Amino acid sequence: MDNVSYQRFPTVRIREIKDDFLKFELRNTDASMANALRRVVLAEVPTIAIDLVEIEMNSSVLNDEFIAHRLGLIPLTSERAMDMKFSRDCDACDGDGKCEFCSIEFTLNVKCTSDQTLDVTSHDLVPSDQQYPVYPVGFMERAEYGGYEEDPPEQRGILIVKLRRGQELKLRAIARKGIGKDHAKWSPAATITFQYEPEIHINEALMETLTLEEKKEWVDSCPTKMFDIDANTEQVVVVDAEAYAYDDEIIKKADAMGKPGLVNIISREDSFIFTIESTGALKAADMFLNAIEILKMKLDAVRLSMETEENDDQFGELGAHMRGGL
Amino acid sequence: MGLSKVEQRIKQKERVQELGAAAVARRLVKPHIDSFDYFVEHGLQQSALGIRPIELFQSATNCRLRIWIERPSISPPLKDDRDKTQFLDQRLRPLECRQSGITYKGQFSADICYQWNDQAVMRFSTSFGQVPVMVKSSICHLRGADRNKLIACKEEASEAGGYFICNGNERIIRMLLVTKRNHVVAIRRNSYKNRGPAYTDIACLIRCVRPDQSSVTVRVYYMQYGGATLAFSYRRQEFLIPVGIILKALSHTQDREIFELLSSIYDENNSGKRGAVGTQLVVQRAQIILEEVRRVGLFTRLQCLEYIGERFRAILEGVEDQPAAAVGERVIEDHIFVHLETSLDKFHLLIFMLQKLFAVADHTAAPDNVDAIQHQEILLPGHVLTMYAKDRMQDWLGKVRRVLAKELEDKPNEFDLQDVKKVQKLMDKVPSTSIGKRFEYLLNTGNLASKHSLELMQVGSCSESTGYTIVAERLNYLRYISHFRSVHRGAYFQSLRTTTVRKLLPESWGFLCPVHTPDGTPCGLLNHLTVSCEITSDMEANGVLRDYLSMRKEIVSVLSSYGMVSVSPGLAHCAPPSHVPVLLDGRVVGYVEASRIVSVVMGIRLLKVLRSSDIPADLEVAYVPCTFAGPYPGLFLSIGPARMVRPVKQLFGEQSVEMIGPLEQVYMDISCPDGIDNGWEDVSPTHMEISPMAMLSIVAGLTPWSDHNQSPRNMYQCQMGKQTMGFPAQTIQYRADNKLYRLQTPQTPLARTLRHTEYHMDEFPTGTNAIVAVLSYTGYDMEDAMIINKSSMERGLCHGQIYKTETIDLSRLNKKADGFNNKFARHTQLMYHSHAKFLDIDGLPYVGQRLKGDDPYCSVLNTMTGRAKVFKVKNSETAVVDYVAAVGTGPKEPLQKVTIRLRQERNPVIGDKFSSRHGQKGICSQLWPDIDMPFSHVTGMRPDIIINPHAFPSRMTIGMLLESMAAKGGALEGKFVDATPFKYNLSSSSDRDSVAREQKGGTLIDEYGDILRAHGFNYHGTEVMYSGVFGTELVCEIFIGVVYYQRLRHMVSDKFQVRSRGPVNPVTQQPVKGRSAGGGIRFGEMERDSLLAHGAAYLLHDRMHTCSDYHIGSVCSNCGSLIAPMAVSQAKAGHTHLLAVGAKRNKEVCRYCNSGKWIEKVAMPFAFRYLTSELAAMNVKLNLKVSDELRNT
Repeated sequence: MDNVSYQRFPTVRIREIKDDFLKFELRNTDASMANALRRVVLAEVPTIAIDLVEIEMNSSVLNDEFIAHRLGLIPLTSERAMDMKFSRDCDACDGDGKCEFCSIEFTLNVKCTSDQTLDVTSHDLVPSDQQYPVYPVGFMERAEYGGYEEDPPEQRGILIVKLRRGQELKLRAIARKGIGKDHAKWSPAATITFQYEPEIHINEALMETLTLEEKKEWVDSCPTKMFDIDANTEQVVVVDAEAYAYDDEIIKKADAMGKPGLVNIISREDSFIFTIESTGALKAADMFLNAIEILKMKLDAVRLSMETEENDDQFGELGAHMRGGL
Repeated sequence: MGLSKVEQRIKQKERVQELGAAAVARRLVKPHIDSFDYFVEHGLQQSALGIRPIELFQSATNCRLRIWIERPSISPPLKDDRDKTQFLDQRLRPLECRQSGITYKGQFSADICYQWNDQAVMRFSTSFGQVPVMVKSSICHLRGADRNKLIACKEEASEAGGYFICNGNERIIRMLLVTKRNHVVAIRRNSYKNRGPAYTDIACLIRCVRPDQSSVTVRVYYMQYGGATLAFSYRRQEFLIPVGIILKALSHTQDREIFELLSSIYDENNSGKRGAVGTQLVVQRAQIILEEVRRVGLFTRLQCLEYIGERFRAILEGVEDQPAAAVGERVIEDHIFVHLETSLDKFHLLIFMLQKLFAVADHTAAPDNVDAIQHQEILLPGHVLTMYAKDRMQDWLGKVRRVLAKELEDKPNEFDLQDVKKVQKLMDKVPSTSIGKRFEYLLNTGNLASKHSLELMQVGSCSESTGYTIVAERLNYLRYISHFRSVHRGAYFQSLRTTTVRKLLPESWGFLCPVHTPDGTPCGLLNHLTVSCEITSDMEANGVLRDYLSMRKEIVSVLSSYGMVSVSPGLAHCAPPSHVPVLLDGRVVGYVEASRIVSVVMGIRLLKVLRSSDIPADLEVAYVPCTFAGPYPGLFLSIGPARMVRPVKQLFGEQSVEMIGPLEQVYMDISCPDGIDNGWEDVSPTHMEISPMAMLSIVAGLTPWSDHNQSPRNMYQCQMGKQTMGFPAQTIQYRADNKLYRLQTPQTPLARTLRHTEYHMDEFPTGTNAIVAVLSYTGYDMEDAMIINKSSMERGLCHGQIYKTETIDLSRLNKKADGFNNKFARHTQLMYHSHAKFLDIDGLPYVGQRLKGDDPYCSVLNTMTGRAKVFKVKNSETAVVDYVAAVGTGPKEPLQKVTIRLRQERNPVIGDKFSSRHGQKGICSQLWPDIDMPFSHVTGMRPDIIINPHAFPSRMTIGMLLESMAAKGGALEGKFVDATPFKYNLSSSSDRDSVAREQKGGTLIDEYGDILRAHGFNYHGTEVMYSGVFGTELVCEIFIGVVYYQRLRHMVSDKFQVRSRGPVNPVTQQPVKGRSAGGGIRFGEMERDSLLAHGAAYLLHDRMHTCSDYHIGSVCSNCGSLIAPMAVSQAKAGHTHLLAVGAKRNKEVCRYCNSGKWIEKVAMPFAFRYLTSELAAMNVKLNLKVSDELRNT
């Protein structure tokens, strides 16, 4: 028994990749691994977000905490995050923003002098440090000229507050490295989800007993576009198996039509289709790679600690179990 | 041309809707403003007219002095100019009052007129003090201000007023339900039997109201022997007079006519007919009544008047020297049927009342239910004030008379009544400005103190009646506006054990909302007007006082043209069932033949809505038909103020809209367009409801699909909607309310009723559209608990703030004996050095400063003692200084008053309360991070909130399920969803959706299911979800959708109570109670029982002893005394100081045994020690036996 290895070699096949979007297949592993990856991407991949705000002047309609909260939620480009230090671990500074290892300083200084409402957006956040620039998302793509209204929506930046004539907002903000576990603002993923890959087997013999009308009805009973009817052969074909939402709608429909077993759908327990969307702080692909890195680090930590008996305190029975024996 | 008056009004209303929130709010508070305008512009004058002048006579100089009050008026509020500060703008604005905690009041002044012996009148304008002024009333500076001006005044853009500002608080006078004025009601009440021997439980009563709104209730009791007694109250005393005497005192007729009038309701030919109200007994009763008078020896009218006059001379004031007949006339004029002027009218009304009384006694007519809204009207704020003004002025004049009369009596020679100066000097003993103070007191406390009882039901037995005013809390807009629409039955009924008054009666349909009433003590007593309900006003739309006299004339002439027989002496005897009596505002105007009555009523209704006619549009035409032993028949017309009216559509004539009242509604055939024929078979309706929503109040009308919910859930929502954190005011920046709740990012609901748009609720939103999944996940959502997604919370879900305002007034501090030496300043001493971080040199905090528990936010320095009083933030609270205002002092004076507003962040934590709009409240029990929440595999969505499916089966809030699905569809389509209740029952609705649905034979679900399906979602709103913890598919599909969630104001941060050690009661050494005092929670008897039952003795000992008043006492085991052992300083006992060092300072010695060797230490509750001392004080000695026996065994 001892020699039997259960080790598997998961593979990844990328289907679609964009800066903020990634779709891939993860095969030869199980749900625990897939979910661990999902959880790490959401909660443990570090990013940079504004964490400390010093307000010098705020005569806007929103109060200080409100603005600070809004600033915190602005995604910042976080390629540097993996190399930075958590400000609590940083030995070089006391976390006041002057330290290049753990913090990035921004300033914002806007005053409305015209009669028109002035929109303060994430583009008004200016990083003090030009050496390792960290910007609000979309800062580099912003239009050079023109007001808020003229710019296309995706280039306007994220609205922080609106100012009327005479109102002013002046502040200093310090961005730090953090993880989504501590606060959702550090979570790099907007959405991450996976599903088991479905395998669809149509009982062709049974299907042939249906009239074209019935086939149509059956195909339409699925809320998502899974099946279609071949215009030539009048046969039901699978168009998009992954569109299946595991809602059993078509199976119920088949039962209702008196044809149970018309279709057999099995979900493959070792194969997952992942969809990741990024907030823009990290590239979707980087996010995933970082996640693997972090997961590895976590596993290393477990492995290292299980080799030392002192860590029995930490792991209790689990530690002894991991070392193979009691 | 064909437009009726009401239709015009409705048109106006529509225009109003276009105008926006301001106009809508104005309509809702209209009864308040209108009635206050009436008070200021007409009521005051009326009440002055209603007060009889006082007369004094000095026989020495033969001088007769008359004093009376004329031309009372209230001026717009002005700034307090006592300090002679030269304000550029003298006007006092509401904002200033609110911010500086003062009262928005105007000068109340009147002319006091003196007349000596019919000479020329002398007038002196006198101040009666200052009276609080209603915001946006005709004497308010904000009257007529448009949006821009309001904003410039730093008021709400949709400010509608209707409240008073008293010491900075916004207070309103509650609307109360009272018996309908000038309307005869017959009732049975057991307490009437206690009036005396021979009294029965039957009586007829009428609440007569004078033009100055003061009222006198006249009752006619039925006696066992067949007679009747008339009663009225004066100064809380009831006076009973045999009705025959009054009848004869009212008119010159012979007994025969009285007899015939009384017995006219009996006709032997009619017996058994529908509406035959008289029986043979009536004839005998008429004889008894007349016989009664004859037996007293009264035959003529004069005799009767004198008889009355002699008996009332001692009771009435200022009639000592008048002849008896004049006094009798005065009694009739001032106390009997005061709404009528001529005694002939009074005579006929009394006849009518007797007829009704006898019919009820004979069971040929049913008694009326006084709790039903058809016999009620509303006591408006302005009318309360008018009454009170009269009462106060009368009281003042009475006091003046007494002072002058006493002076005349005491110093008949020195005092000269002709000397104006002397008279006025004496009058100063009765300060006139106290009247204003009384008004302020009324507004501040809601207590109405009056000698004359003002004839109100809520008076009860005590001399003060309470509950007239309430604070209009700005918790959120729903709560705020509800205050103005609430109608209370009176505080008196709250203590009543019977619950009949609380019943929801079908008569209230369309006037009072059946849904919107609170649970608990005020249930059924505190109701709310429906949105369509209006209150008739004393004034026309243009502010001119209604000319009731000409209106009545016009109505009578119209009726006559329809064939009404007017009442006149020697009239042919008309009575039901052949004729129906017609009463107009409590005056019998004539009789209409029963066969023609229906067409007469129809005719009046047609004229009523006709623009060109002079008949008012809100005339109530209540035709009570002839029935078998039903209510007493008659045609009751009323045009008076304070009636509730609401619009319905006529199904005859030009289909115009008519305003109907609660009395007539009961006898009308009104169909409701809810798709059901209400069981009409033989009757065809004459009127139709405009909308089935008309029966709901504003708050109830905002519940989406309330027609799909179990009814109590809608009631709960009405309560919770008013406790929701929302956006209370757009002027938060300028407000100084004690406490304001604010939701940081409120949203407009995706599923909303038409009312939501109509009443511009988007100006004051109260919740958040949350993604809600219904599943049982981890067990933390059991028993109405709910799980909130921590990450959503961190992204801003339901974030909120509380604003608290503290006012620090040096003049208040000054009262405490430390003189006028206080000033706002930071202390310079070293021990106060840490304050510099929080306070500026002027003792006030920095705006934006973050404060933790025990940090100072204000410092007041006493320049004399050099000590500083520091105001600190309460422990365990963190706050930010939001706003600091220096209040109301001129430039020269040092600062006397500041208001400091602190802002506390209140983001959701475990223990906070949330609710959907369907009475589904729950407590947040966990904040799970995103990763642990279940996720939908298609969209990757994690829910914001998880609630337990068990919340649904027993509560049956299908509306919530509908909302979840519909709003989900709406979110996918980017559209708001119309969630108006009863919409789908409307057969008349011809919009395409419903037609399409009808064709499909579908329901609401089908409509929204199809939308979901079209977007690739499950038809039933469910989704396949994966466990966030394990990554595996959840076994069943999860119902997930969008629900508008409200965050309620109940938060743990305000409620948690915990202590390990803390303050104790000095007497018993037990922990004190109360959260604010840092006390403990009582571990009571039942808790003790429970621990005993568990056998948890150690825990019990810990709770009740160790953690309570644990005490180690010294007992002398020799004498057994607990109080004799005393600590004796050893130094005293002869030792030197040096020896005492290191040694135990004190030694316990038993003073009784004079030795310390038997002293034992015993643990006991301190309360025991207290008991022994108390017993000792009563000469009871308590001996303790202290031994080691137990320990040794």
